This record gives sequence, C-alpha cells and structure tokens, in this order.
Amino acid sequence: MEATGARLDTLQAIELAEGVEVRLRIAGPVQRGVALGLDLLFQWGFLIVVVVVLSIAGVFTGSLVAFGVMMLVWFFLSWWYAVFLEASKWGATFGKKIVGLRVVQRSGSPITFSQAVLRNFLRWADAAPYLGAGIGGLPTFGFGLGTILATRRFQRLGDLAAGTVVVYDKIPPEPVVAPPPAMEALRPTLALRPEEVKAVVAFRERSGLWSEGRRREIADHARDLTGAEGAAGVSRLMSMAHWLQERR
Amino acid sequence: MSASDFEERRGEAWSELDRMIEGVEKRRPGTDAGQLPRRFREACNDLALARHRMYDGHLVGRLNELVIRGYKLLYRARRKGAESFVRFVAVDFPAKVRAEWRLFWLCSALFWLPFLAMMALVARDIDWAQAVLRPEGMASMEQMYGGEEEQIAHLREVHGSNFMMFAFYIQNNVGIDFQIFAGGILACLGTIFFLIFNGVHIGAAAGYVNEACNPQSFWTFVAGHSSFELLGMVVAGMAGMKLGVGVLRPGRMSRAKSVGLAARDALPLIYGAGGMTALAAVVEGFWSARMLPADVKYGFGICMWLLHLLYFLVLGRGKRAA
Repeated sequence: MEATGARLDTLQAIELAEGVEVRLRIAGPVQRGVALGLDLLFQWGFLIVVVVVLSIAGVFTGSLVAFGVMMLVWFFLSWWYAVFLEASKWGATFGKKIVGLRVVQRSGSPITFSQAVLRNFLRWADAAPYLGAGIGGLPTFGFGLGTILATRRFQRLGDLAAGTVVVYDKIPPEPVVAPPPAMEALRPTLALRPEEVKAVVAFRERSGLWSEGRRREIADHARDLTGAEGAAGVSRLMSMAHWLQERR
Repeated sequence: MSASDFEERRGEAWSELDRMIEGVEKRRPGTDAGQLPRRFREACNDLALARHRMYDGHLVGRLNELVIRGYKLLYRARRKGAESFVRFVAVDFPAKVRAEWRLFWLCSALFWLPFLAMMALVARDIDWAQAVLRPEGMASMEQMYGGEEEQIAHLREVHGSNFMMFAFYIQNNVGIDFQIFAGGILACLGTIFFLIFNGVHIGAAAGYVNEACNPQSFWTFVAGHSSFELLGMVVAGMAGMKLGVGVLRPGRMSRAKSVGLAARDALPLIYGAGGMTALAAVVEGFWSARMLPADVKYGFGICMWLLHLLYFLVLGRGKRAA
C-alpha cells in the first residue's frame, strides 16, 4: 500500500477480501452540499404536496385527522427518509442519486440499516450550530462542514460514528485525446520508484488534454530526470514514458 | 506482455463480467449469473496484475470500476428477520440497559434532580413557574388542566383529536429522543442540555399545575404514559452519553475508531428508546385523556411502572447477549 500521507489526490485505496486494492473516489463538500440541497427541496416539496392533498381530504375525514397524518409524514420525512433510501439497494438519497454519489462503508461495501440510522440521526448534530431561535433555528451545518474538512476521508460526524464514506458512484471515464506520438524510446537516466513510473506514464496519457504551455510547465518539474527545460523537456519525458510503456 | 496484449487476451472476459453485473443491477440476471463470483475474482486478479505491471490508467481505471461494482453486488448485507426483532425486545434491549446501569442512574439524575428542584421552587414561589414557562406556557397549562372537571378530556371529544395528538406526540417526543441521542456526539453536551432542560421544564409545569390548576386532571392524565415516556427519554440519554463518552475517552484506540464502536454500542439503546416513546404516544393519544375514574388511571399507571421495572430487571437474564 502506498503511503497515503504524501498523496495529492483524495483516492482511497481499500483492500478487498480478494486481496486486491480498489480506489474509491471520495466526494467533497461541494457535491455533498448540492445533494443535501436537492434532498431538502424534495422533502419540502413533498410536504407541500401532502399538505395540499390533505387539506382537500380533510373536508371529508375531519381536519384534525388530516393534521395528524401531516405530522406523521413530517416525522418520517425528517428522520427516516434518508435512512430507508440509503439502506436500500441504491445506497443514496434522491439528491445523492442525481449528483451521482453513494454512501458506502469504509471498506467499500454497501452500508447496513444500522449504519444508515446512525449517520442520518446524527445529521441533527452536524447541522449545528443553529442560527436564531435556539435549536429550532436555521441549521448552518457548520459542525458537519468543519469535520468534513478536518478528516482525510471527508466524513461528517455521522459518517465518523457510522464508519461510512460518501463516494462517487460511477466515475465518468476521462476523455481520451491521443497524445502526441513519441519520436523515440529513451531509457530514464535515474532509477525510478513505482509511483514515479506511474506519474511519467500518466503524463503522456493525459498530455493530449493540455495546452503546449501547460505541458512545459509540468515537465519542468521533472527537470532533474530529463535534464532539460521547455519543449525539449516535454519531448524527453514523452520518450521516457514511451520506453517505460513499451519496455515490456 | 504489453498493455494492449493483456487487454486483447482478457478483454472479452471483462465485457462479459460487465454484462453480467449490469444484468443483476437492473434485476434481470442472465442465465449465466451463477458464474459472477468466479468472473469477479478473475477480474480482481487482473486488476492486481495490471497494477503490478503498471499498465496505463485507462485500463486500470476500467478494471477498478468493474471490481467495485462487482463487490457492491456480492457483499450486500442481508436483512434480518422477525426473529431478531423478538430477540431484541425480549433479551438484547433489557440486557443492554442493565449492562449500562451507571449511565442509567446518571441520566436519571440529570432529569429527576432538576425536575424535583423545580417543583420545590415553584411550590415556594410561583414566580419560578413564570420564569420557566412564560405566560403563554402557563395559559396553555391552565387551558388543559385548569378547571374543576377533567378539562383535557373535554378537549379530546372532538372527532379525530386523539389521532392528531398521537401523531403530534410521535413527531415531537420521538424526535426529541433522537435529538437527545444525536447531541451526545458533541462530547455529551447536547444530551446533558436536553435532559436538564426537560427536567426543568416539566418540573415547572407540574409545579405550576399543583399550585394554580386542578392537579388531579394533570396527574391522572400523565399517570398512564409517564413510565414509557420518561424511561424512554432516560434511555435515549444513555445512548447519547454512550456516544459522548466514546468521543471523550477513546482509551488506547483512535478517536474515530472509539466513536464508531460507541455508536454501535448505543444503537440498541436508541432503538429501544424510540420504541418506548412511540408506545408512550399510543397510550398518551388513546388512553390518557379518557374519562375514567381517577383510581383506574392511577392504577394503570402504577401497573405500567411495575411492568417496566420487571422488564428491565428480569428479562434477558442468563442468556448472554450476542
């Protein structure tokens, strides 16, 4: 397993029972905020529809019965909506589904009902501090955001307690743009560690997406390896990547 | 072997696995779905090989995605049946409450001491009731328990009001239990706050009714559901404290690990507390406001307290909770 301390990306390496490592792409606070906003919209929209329907039905059933049903709907929406959806096969609320997120255990497998209960009941604590009228005030989600930013796996308090993480469900494949063909295969002048080999190969793979200026800028970071700067550095790095890929 | 050779040799197996997974995901498994575990393990093998040989990112990414999707299908948790529910009610829950007896007494004290203190204060000087309840609260207490007759019973004669109050108690009281629990993760502070707050508020209300309203209509009303509701609240407090202690005292574990374990420990408590408070809502909605002789209602209330005592002291002994 690679040292995770020095990693730049947020991919989480997880070893499965099969002995193989997979990489989970953890979702950041922005996507989760959007999903939360969508969920709140759904919950309020549904509640408004229920109120309208019940106030019509209330004419026949009596307004108190209709009011009682509304209370129960409110209770289930506020405490159980996310629990049942996240414990289902989807592993996501409507909001998360739309944004393309999914809740999984830290081990990458789908979450259990108990974990869904824990992480969603604790949302109340994540939503603190409340602005205005005490605990009935406007939730700021300050605590949740704070812990998301402070933890390596972007976990809020509920996630920490339940041992869950929110990941991208399906990672869209990166667009493939053919890199400029390498002129020659050049043996690297230094012995490279596996991560460095990966970085050089990834440079060639992704270079089709970048402008010439950006390529030079990145290649300049590897000047110790290539011994050149600017366009010459880029082409030497390409050649080395070519050598590394075709060597086997 | 170069990446393209590898892909050429194994690519067909991968697209076949992809097809099987997609079939199962869409609930239309093909006839060959039984081969999925074997194919999945092959793909795991290929992923490990591709990583080791440092093939390009696209190939590794494709395999990574395939393995994650397969893993999600093969390792789904199975739902537990009715048997585990019965076991929970009859064994696990009372055993758990007994095991955490220290927290039980702590949370009970956090509620009952402010409650009794507030009742004593109000008996001495009724201004205390005004300070806590504010005039609106006092007015609504008088409206419910003010008269000579059982006023709350008259309020409930309107069609549907029992059901409405039942729904209100579910929404309000069970919600408060869940908040008491959630507040525990803030280093116990939320739980402590809610328990004391409820003790002060309910104590002031009871004290005010004793002094200024018709006490019998109040005490006969609350007798029936008091055991479910107050014990449920205390148990919710225990769940919250459990969580908070996990935050405050991780011992030799990392804090995250300690919180995770504490949360798993607290789960039966919060399930039980939710269940008890929901039962309280049923009693409070459909029994407590009925017009019955006071002795019947007090008797019912005492029976319920004794049953709770029996439940928590006796049930689930001898069988170690799994």
